[in-house]
Amino acid sequence: MNQELKQEIAELKQQKTSQMYLTWVRFKRNRLSVIGLSFVLVVIFIAIFAPVLTPYHPYETDPFNRLASPSRENPLGTDELGRDLLTRLLYGSRIALQVGILIVLFEGFIGISFGLLAGYFGGWVDEIIMRLVDILRSFPVIILAMAIAGIMGQGLFNVVLAIGLVGWTTYARMVRGKILSIKEADYVEAAYAAGESTVSVILRYILPNVLPTAIIMVCIMMPTALIASATLSFLGVGVQPPLPCWGSIAAAGRDYIIRAPWISTTAGFFIMFTVLGFNFIGDGLRDAFDPTSKRN
Amino acid sequence: MNKWGYVGKRLLKTIPIIIGVTLVTFLILHLSPGDPVRIMLGPYATPETVAALRAQYGLDQPLPLQYFSWLGNIAQGDLGTSIRYNRPVTELVQARIGITLTLTLAGLVISVTLGSILGILAALKQNSWLDYLCTFQAMFWISIPGFWLAILLLYIFGLQLRWVPIAGLSGFASVILPALTIGLQEEAWFARPMRAEMLGVLNEGYIKAARAKGVRYYRVVGKHALRNVMVPMITMLALRLPWVIAGSVVVEVVFAWGGMGSLLVNSVLARDYPVVQGILLIIALSVVLANLLADLVYSLIDPRIRVEGGKK
Repeated sequence: MNQELKQEIAELKQQKTSQMYLTWVRFKRNRLSVIGLSFVLVVIFIAIFAPVLTPYHPYETDPFNRLASPSRENPLGTDELGRDLLTRLLYGSRIALQVGILIVLFEGFIGISFGLLAGYFGGWVDEIIMRLVDILRSFPVIILAMAIAGIMGQGLFNVVLAIGLVGWTTYARMVRGKILSIKEADYVEAAYAAGESTVSVILRYILPNVLPTAIIMVCIMMPTALIASATLSFLGVGVQPPLPCWGSIAAAGRDYIIRAPWISTTAGFFIMFTVLGFNFIGDGLRDAFDPTSKRN
Repeated sequence: MNKWGYVGKRLLKTIPIIIGVTLVTFLILHLSPGDPVRIMLGPYATPETVAALRAQYGLDQPLPLQYFSWLGNIAQGDLGTSIRYNRPVTELVQARIGITLTLTLAGLVISVTLGSILGILAALKQNSWLDYLCTFQAMFWISIPGFWLAILLLYIFGLQLRWVPIAGLSGFASVILPALTIGLQEEAWFARPMRAEMLGVLNEGYIKAARAKGVRYYRVVGKHALRNVMVPMITMLALRLPWVIAGSVVVEVVFAWGGMGSLLVNSVLARDYPVVQGILLIIALSVVLANLLADLVYSLIDPRIRVEGGKK
């Protein structure tokens, strides 16, 4: 009996892998999501090979060549300290990806854990966690994060902390909802019947089934994380100069918008390119995982 | 459940959230790694000044006591005194909140109008180029940071074309670009659900019946479908309010409007904590109220909501 149940569980697991494959096939069919994927790959490529792509260093100032127009030597001109703008923007992809990934990992970890607890245990645990979610959602993410970052002090990790502490609620809600439906599934009951412990059921049967949802969430939340961190930097409470961060480059360029409009505009373009890429991927993934939500 | 039972229950549910909001706002100040008073005064303050300011703000008292006295002051409409301006926070906010409200409302009006029109058009012409264009432009607007859109609009329409004033608040023309920034960014959030809802409604039996009866197409859309779409749109409105407020903060900074948003950003940068706390509290409470209002309106429009578990 026990053996048979285990067999059945294994088969159900098998189905899951083929579903992952199906998802990939559906994802590939969506042209926009493939474009999005290529955008993101370009940004990753730039982040890795920035030192090869440009002869300059992002901190290298040139007081005699401040706010220079785009030229052969400086394809996008120079900034207010005479640093090559293109170099800073290319290196900026490192900061953006780093901060973005750290944010989604951090908020994802908190949100998925809380969602798991709330959904699985229900009752007062659920009540407390969901009220906390309601409370945090009463604050605009960027505004609360700005206040927290401002109070904790500027810096890359404080940006991650500030946005993560506020942004996890979306994950928690999503994961909780998913768990409520999984909890009732046959294979979970089967696992209990086979004598598995609560921890083992959560880790081996529930968590793997929540994972696809979590992966989509991470892709969907990446744009929000990128825009939020850029906005904090723009407002002056985020990543600080001389670190090349797109948000703070755009902020610095605003003071020279008449003389050197290319600073702010190109910095924003890099953000848009990256965020658009992740948004396309997220949209494709959503459709791929849930064919019922398809437009037709 | 009857109507008033639902209203009562919903009101009761709001109380712990309001308490939680005040707690979060209060505790934020204590997130700072060091002593808030030292940070406020800077590294060169004498110990006497630090002690005096700490006593003035009641920071030498135990935390729960501080919280309750702070809460008591708020209940009396006292949000504390700004360190930078040395004036009551309420006074500072009062002078600026109108600007932020104007911007938020104008932004909402633009986004809802634009979003509804685009959503309806997309639904009526499902799978046409217009539909795809609507989807794509929605994706585009949500993929760009608000500050960048503001800078671009400012540069193109203010500096290059000189159609509108570039900064500050001077009459109707100066509201256009800031409101448009918010409107374009938020429009996507209304266009998508509008399209989905319209598609759903258009496939309902009663719409088909109306069509079969010979009612003209646009009349069907206007009379039957639109009314049904109102409910999810109101929810979306309440849901997006925090984002619109956040958007207006950023826009105020770019366009150099001296509203509550600029005050908040400057106070964060200057570590003027009483002002930060006061504005955070005002924003969060208005979001809570807007959600409450939306839920109540919702339950009046659609009686099904009042049934337990009907929503959320």
